[in-house]
Amino acid sequence: MSAFHFDSLVWHWPIAIYLFLAGISAGAMFFAILLKYACLKQTAHESKFILAACIIAPISVFLGLGILVVDLTKPLDFWKILVFYNPRSVMSVGVIILMIYQVFMFAWIAAVYAKPIQTWLGLRFTPINKLLTWLAQQHASITGLLLILSLSLGAYTGFLLSALPGYPMLNNPVLPLLFLISGLTSGAAGALLLGVLLKGQPDSKEVKFIHKIEIPLILVELSIIFTFFMGLVLSGGQKQVAAATAIGAGFWGWVFWLGIIGVGLSVPLA
Amino acid sequence: MQTSKRHFLKCTGTLLAGVAAYRLAYATAHPEAKPDAAKQYILIHDQTQCIGCDACAIACRQTNQVPAEVSRLTIVRHGPYGEYPNQQYHFERQSCQQCENAPCVMVCPTGAAYRDPQTGIIKVDDWKCVGCQYCIAACPYQVRFINPVTRAADKCDFCAETKLKQGELPACVQACPTQALQFGDSLDKDAQVRKTLNSAAVIRDNESLGTRPKVFIIADAKGEVTI
Ligand code: SF4
Ligand code: SF4
Repeated sequence: MSAFHFDSLVWHWPIAIYLFLAGISAGAMFFAILLKYACLKQTAHESKFILAACIIAPISVFLGLGILVVDLTKPLDFWKILVFYNPRSVMSVGVIILMIYQVFMFAWIAAVYAKPIQTWLGLRFTPINKLLTWLAQQHASITGLLLILSLSLGAYTGFLLSALPGYPMLNNPVLPLLFLISGLTSGAAGALLLGVLLKGQPDSKEVKFIHKIEIPLILVELSIIFTFFMGLVLSGGQKQVAAATAIGAGFWGWVFWLGIIGVGLSVPLA
Repeated sequence: MQTSKRHFLKCTGTLLAGVAAYRLAYATAHPEAKPDAAKQYILIHDQTQCIGCDACAIACRQTNQVPAEVSRLTIVRHGPYGEYPNQQYHFERQSCQQCENAPCVMVCPTGAAYRDPQTGIIKVDDWKCVGCQYCIAACPYQVRFINPVTRAADKCDFCAETKLKQGELPACVQACPTQALQFGDSLDKDAQVRKTLNSAAVIRDNESLGTRPKVFIIADAKGEVTI
């Protein structure tokens, strides 16, 4: 079992990818909402970038969940997580958030694309038509809840790790914040990239808007990372050792570097 | 737009306050340590008596059918200390500490890692466990593992399902040739463990984490501090 007991590596790599994907999904949804409300309003369904976010969010969250389930030692028993709850467990609370998040994610996507879908359906399938109209009417509340849910989802991945008392590197109050911002920026970057691939205009107002928010976010993120590691070093002892092992070769370091530096670089390029 | 914004803020505020209040209420209403339990089993490892013979670990493996690639109990040898020929070793027992405030119980999403209210022993419900391994990551003493046969998390449970059920002492306690292990109910006023706790200088591993282990140690004077 030495893989689980390596100093800076708590779980093995699939979990890191799961956390990353959940963060990306939350980030993509978050930016889709911001884009729609601050910039596009009623024309949201025409934007390639909203489309990109609406593709990325479900796929990454499903992929992440798939990895999580496959990674259980008893994958076929995963339903037990849904049936038995432990309100004190961050993971259990996270699963609840994740489930509700998915419902609202699909509701939001359906509401945004209500009109085009209805035109396409024409007069067929009236129940679906009715459902879509109803969703479109509830759009404001759905958006509000989804915003909260996506923020919770982004922070939850950080809480999941900071709830581990035996790991000085992770048992740190700044970590959830770091995960949240890192997820938001990666999600937005992913949406941008795919948006451009879907032939969205790289110099359109959406891109300008995302850049306007994202660049300060990246700066905040960098300062949080700085705080995070400085905090580890200054609190000394075991934490200092953990910081030294993690920045260079640790697996979590790898995730951070890939997510932040990799995606952070690809944003300006896109 | 104005009303929907206000509506949204109201919803958010209520939701957040609700979540916070719920977590707080839960934390205060359910302190982990249950003083009303019928029994509170504890174990004392007297390092001054331990000779590192591994009899406890072997007995544990046999009694609890622990597969060869994992173990519930290991004795770790530190040393040698001192100059030849006056060299000595120092032995540390690695096994579940039966935390009163157990991180594994706290993080388990299904409640498969739980405290038995009758005995205070931390156990695993094999059937409920899905193998997410969150508890393995959460345990600061790194004593949990996935049992390759049951595919569930596993660890020392003071022989709750084997020896204790038959009214015997845990296998390790019985096997120890030097009586370095003492086991008993700390709520029982006449128990030997209680007398030892009150008379010897016992310590617990990693006390600063607030886990309140119920495995106590009488520390060995052997060993050295490198300066
Ligand atoms: S030592 Fe580890 S497995 Fe045992 S009760 Fe404490 S946290 Fe749980
Ligand atoms: S591995 Fe099993 S016992 Fe451990 S946290 Fe997951 S479900 Fe609970």
